[in-house]
Amino acid sequence: MATHTDSQFHVHHDSPEQIGRRERLGVRLLIVADGAFVFGMIFSYFYLKNLNSNNGWIPVKGHTFTAISGWWAIAPFVVVAIIHRLAVRNRSIFGLVSILAVLILAAGMYYQWHQMATMKFMHTNDAGDNVFEGAYASNWVLLAGANMFHYILTLFIALGLAIRHKRAHVNATLETWRQRTAGSWFTWTAISGIALALTTTFIR
Amino acid sequence: MTTLDHKTTTRPVPNPKKSLITKLNMGTGIILGVAFAFGTYYWLKSGQDMSRPNNVNKVLIVTMFMWSLGFMIGIGAFIGPFRWLIGKDLTPEEELYLAGDGQGIKRYFKYCTDHKVVGIQYLVGVMTLLGVGGTMAMMIRTNLAMPGSKLVTPTVYNSLVGLHGITMIIAMIIVATGPFGNYIMPIMIGARDMAFPRLNALSWWVLFTAIPVLCSAWFLGGIPTGWVAYAPLSVQAGPGMNAFLCTIIIFAVSTAVAGMNITATVVAMRAKGMSWNRVPIFVVGATISVALAIPAFPTFMLSMVQTGLDRTIGTGFYDANMGGSGWLYAHLFWIMGHPEVYVILIPGVAVLMEILPVFVRKPLFSYGAAIAGFAGIAGLSAFVWAHHMYMSGWLPMFNGPFMVTTEMISIPTGLIFLVMLGTLWQGRPWMKLPMLSVYAFLWNMLIGGITGIYLSDVPADNYLHGSMYVTAHFHYTLMGSALTGAVAGLAYWFPKMTGRMLNERAGYISFWLVQVGFQVLFLGMFVAGSEGQPRRVADYAHMYAHADLISTIGAYSVGTGFIVLLWAVVHSWRHGKIAPMNPWGAKTLEWTVPYPVPLTNFPDDAMPVVTSDFYGYGKAVK
Repeated sequence: MATHTDSQFHVHHDSPEQIGRRERLGVRLLIVADGAFVFGMIFSYFYLKNLNSNNGWIPVKGHTFTAISGWWAIAPFVVVAIIHRLAVRNRSIFGLVSILAVLILAAGMYYQWHQMATMKFMHTNDAGDNVFEGAYASNWVLLAGANMFHYILTLFIALGLAIRHKRAHVNATLETWRQRTAGSWFTWTAISGIALALTTTFIR
Repeated sequence: MTTLDHKTTTRPVPNPKKSLITKLNMGTGIILGVAFAFGTYYWLKSGQDMSRPNNVNKVLIVTMFMWSLGFMIGIGAFIGPFRWLIGKDLTPEEELYLAGDGQGIKRYFKYCTDHKVVGIQYLVGVMTLLGVGGTMAMMIRTNLAMPGSKLVTPTVYNSLVGLHGITMIIAMIIVATGPFGNYIMPIMIGARDMAFPRLNALSWWVLFTAIPVLCSAWFLGGIPTGWVAYAPLSVQAGPGMNAFLCTIIIFAVSTAVAGMNITATVVAMRAKGMSWNRVPIFVVGATISVALAIPAFPTFMLSMVQTGLDRTIGTGFYDANMGGSGWLYAHLFWIMGHPEVYVILIPGVAVLMEILPVFVRKPLFSYGAAIAGFAGIAGLSAFVWAHHMYMSGWLPMFNGPFMVTTEMISIPTGLIFLVMLGTLWQGRPWMKLPMLSVYAFLWNMLIGGITGIYLSDVPADNYLHGSMYVTAHFHYTLMGSALTGAVAGLAYWFPKMTGRMLNERAGYISFWLVQVGFQVLFLGMFVAGSEGQPRRVADYAHMYAHADLISTIGAYSVGTGFIVLLWAVVHSWRHGKIAPMNPWGAKTLEWTVPYPVPLTNFPDDAMPVVTSDFYGYGKAVK
């Protein structure tokens, strides 16, 4: 058994501040990559909508989600981004807020999954294959999948913050940085969620 | 920047020898990866009607991703995130263990976080990929040696072309930023490691898992689409296509992580005094290259995700009957596809610019112009993608603007030439092996660049597109320029990476065999292409026979040259002359550390402080 002090904090002898700043930069660069992916999805949506090749944008039977349903699916991202920001400023409520964030994200994830499980524009053809009716349906399922991916990742981060809060053997300075860095990700998921929800309001 | 947090913690540290980290390695990764893959395959297969192509695609794609996931779990990639999740961060001892401290050769087969180990892993990986891709190239050229050749069937030929293309593209994207960006770059900027050592290991091992996936394409019927995998052909293609798209998705994850890591390292970890105008030009080039890749590659990934969804769950992104469009794929692919050329090219050129002042003993001529050249190329590359779609019928009125933006790339490229020629001007070059590549680059890039202007011109492209002329053009830019730069980097940094000098005589033989053979190969191909020989076709008319035979002879010279280089690398690594600490008398920081480079690169009490740029040859230090 051995002990360590913060002077041995990092294998390359960096201070928590250095590591914290670096991690924030890294997360923001990953957000750029994710942003390009999100932009590509929005581009696909409007490209195919406006092209409307063979009049195939809207499903044959006209089944689409309502414009508001997309907003419900991403609302948890927005709520979590806001309450996390408040909690970082007022540390006394951080523990409560982090647990609340986990619950909100879990509920949002369930709602997104429920939407995907009940979409009416997918059916099985005579040959037994799934068929999505129209390009709207194809794009919708992709956007919903992207939201789901964001939910999984964000829930992991929120859960980590909740578990780590007030643990004695977590470096306090670095943890503060990580909470702020997580805030960058939460803000991004809210922005991307809004962008995707806004996209799906343009149905016809 | 604040100092250390002085709060003392007394958390007991588990003995690394009893920790799970110590028991995981490449072997456990392969075992778990294979177990995940087989388990998934048989589990999914049992519930599916495997006579349906969609179901086959679904089962195969999930199986391939589960191999990758299983491998990463098995090698220990997720220990760090899991420990973070439960609030038990890795201890310094465990981090030291992960960095491969005192583990000898075993660390190369582990999830090792030391940037030098990752650099060597990339080097070996790149050489393997180039060997595999090169072997396929030789098979292609052998088949094309004379008309009517039956060495391979047309189907196999198509797969050879596609797999050669994607293998080489992957290899070329990482050829300079992988080995040198990981091994050399952190030392060059005076850092102790990369910004995110665990993600550094992740980027390599994730890429590693893509290699067997790509190889599996051979056993699943190959890919008939070429490396561009145009839809809807790629949606309708056989099971081998699943391997292709899984490879791209896995590779895109690796590239995003590596690009983020290199960028963050350069931005946040430069030595004291290393202001932006003192950063070595290789570091600038590598950073611009990966920073360009960060937003570009996700669109490629998206095109593959959409292809995968079309192939598995019945979406119709690229099916016109379902409201989709093949043009959408072309846009997403080429929005990445053209910047990708510069992701490959810029680091290779930057290596040569790094080498040039050392061997001419003159300052780099206009450091600012070099950066403007790189930045101009990178910036413009985002606005040229549709020149690949002139003949697709997509918005002909946009052909003109895209022709202009494409031709404008000649201007920053001209700056690159200006800097190199200006540095050479009135210099007395020290003609060592790395320096030869500078001249080869100038010649090859001149031909590659000028022929590119013809292809960017709409009327000329109307005739030349889809011909061997295009193939010759991009080989001049990617192989003749970028790979030449990477080989120069290998010769230049070999002493620092291995502690030994590269066999110079073998290096010279290799250089001349490759470069002379290269001209014979691709100038012959220009002739055939100008006469109208289409690319990606297994057979051709007799009128192209002479040009193709000449090209094949050139290809054998290139192949022989690379075998000689491979021998030189392997032999020199084991038996080469012991290298002095700074054999070239260079001024950059990597030459100030001994071999083997210590784990933290620089001693704690002697971190480098930069007081001038690194190219002050023949002038007083500023």
